[in-house]
Amino acid sequence: MKIILLIAADSIRALLHQRLLIGLMIIALALIAIFSAILVGERKMVTQNAAAVSAANAASDESAAGGADAAASANAGNPKAPAKKVTLSKEDRQKMAEAMDQMSSMFQTGFYAVASFGGSLVSLFIFSTAIAAEIRKGTIRITLTKPVSRTQFLLGKYLGGVAVMAGYALIASAAIILFTRFNRLELSPAMEFAPWLMFCRQLMLGALAMLLSLFVHPFVASVLAFLAGNGLYGHHNPLFYLFPSYQPFSSIGQILQGTLMSGHDVLLLTLYAADFIVLMMLLALWRFHTKELV
Amino acid sequence: MPAIRIDNLAKTYRGGWWKKSGVAALRGLSLEVREGEVFGFLGPNGAGKTTTIHLLLDLMRPTSGAAYVFDRPAGDATVRRRLGYLPESVNLHDYRSGRGLLEFYAALTGIPSAARAARIDRLLALLKLEEAADRSVTKYSKGMLQRLGFAQALLHEPDLIILDEPTSSLDPVGRKEFRDILLELKRQGKTVFISSHILSEVESVCDRVAILAKGELVRVGTLQELSAPKSTKLVVRGVRDALIDALAATSAELSLARGEATIKCSDEATRTAVERLVAEHQAIIERTEIETQSLEDIFFSAIANKKEP
Repeated sequence: MKIILLIAADSIRALLHQRLLIGLMIIALALIAIFSAILVGERKMVTQNAAAVSAANAASDESAAGGADAAASANAGNPKAPAKKVTLSKEDRQKMAEAMDQMSSMFQTGFYAVASFGGSLVSLFIFSTAIAAEIRKGTIRITLTKPVSRTQFLLGKYLGGVAVMAGYALIASAAIILFTRFNRLELSPAMEFAPWLMFCRQLMLGALAMLLSLFVHPFVASVLAFLAGNGLYGHHNPLFYLFPSYQPFSSIGQILQGTLMSGHDVLLLTLYAADFIVLMMLLALWRFHTKELV
Repeated sequence: MPAIRIDNLAKTYRGGWWKKSGVAALRGLSLEVREGEVFGFLGPNGAGKTTTIHLLLDLMRPTSGAAYVFDRPAGDATVRRRLGYLPESVNLHDYRSGRGLLEFYAALTGIPSAARAARIDRLLALLKLEEAADRSVTKYSKGMLQRLGFAQALLHEPDLIILDEPTSSLDPVGRKEFRDILLELKRQGKTVFISSHILSEVESVCDRVAILAKGELVRVGTLQELSAPKSTKLVVRGVRDALIDALAATSAELSLARGEATIKCSDEATRTAVERLVAEHQAIIERTEIETQSLEDIFFSAIANKKEP
């Protein structure tokens, strides 16, 4: 176990020195920030629109009231006349709250989609190159002539990737929580499990990419891993249990609808992911043990 | 117990899927390296030296045959505690300093943390890397990388050190220092398996050598065993015409100068015949000079013989 942890720690160190990886992470976080800024603007616009609609309604009510109010209406053009405070009716407030809720859901869905896609790219990069790059550069030759078995090396590399992806999931989760609090938005109930499911999905993607990278070029492995399980099978299809399926791990629909996946479903998906990862790792170990490393 | 035992090892590199046959890099190599000896592994480019080393280190799988290190299969991870390896081209993780890399490898080989710093400092001093120790390895020259590679191979004080073209990137001063370290390892009783093109280097430190050509073992033995006398020169005094006539019938080459005859015999049979004739004609053999083969002669003759159909 000590050797696996040493390899994992070295792997994290290597990944943090990868400019491309850091770049991908920065791009993913920058996209989140840009997206957030756009939504802040949208939110202001919704508030202003609601206020304008309310003011217009109030004005039309007053004109309908007749002569007594006509003098007051005449004063409206007078700059010295005190500005009339626009108060939202209960109905308007409700409409505005609904619009804000919708905005909040859209924001969180968008945020999640960007974080999830960015994370998938990061995951594919990390896991497809973890071993392939060591073989290509020749650095594996010295490491594997130390008392390190191929199993320890592969598991250490995967564990290092898992740690980096966990860091990414934590940063993305913290970002969404901070943003919703800062903007006084209500956190979608689905966000309770969304980061965990995103993390599981990225580890599945990574495990498949790592396995495929032992057969083909890392780029091809990444593309194949990404395409392999994107919504091709449902729960009731036996192929679901044979081939990867990332679709159930996406929380986009639930965030948008404001629904929450049951704990039981989350547990089942977690077990499915664990099962899939173990299977991929066993296949990867078999391939790695028979692979020529020069 | 031999340090290395290779039994009928063969390796054929597969061609692409569209090619029917592969390339045979190694054809039934059998070899033993005894504990405590410095063993030179020679051969021209493409002879199969590096392939043999990769098979010994389990970086490749043999097509047939087997390799053992200290009587354990080459793939056994535990035996690697007793093994140090310096590859031909030293590729090291570029995100660490020289010292950082040695610390990482020290942890992997299970050197107790209390002993690590002192051992690393000693090796950095031995290989003249103290000043560059904390610099990133990306800033190392090729020679410095070779030295650092040598340091990691010696770090855990292994019993067997496998060196693949160890001085290819070193300058003459570096080569001399490297040779001194090899002699010190030899004095300590370590087993060293060294593949090299630089024959003079091998000649000065190796107990035994093996010559490989086209994936097959051509010669193996000590330098004395391999260096059969090239020719013998007999310097003879009191040579008369009758003896000169008699010598003309042999394959010996005769040259006369200042009343002395120098008779060059290319093989043992000629030498025996010449000695008999000299005795019969009552001449005196003043001195005998035996010309031996250098490692270079042995190497080239072995390679030339292999090239013949």
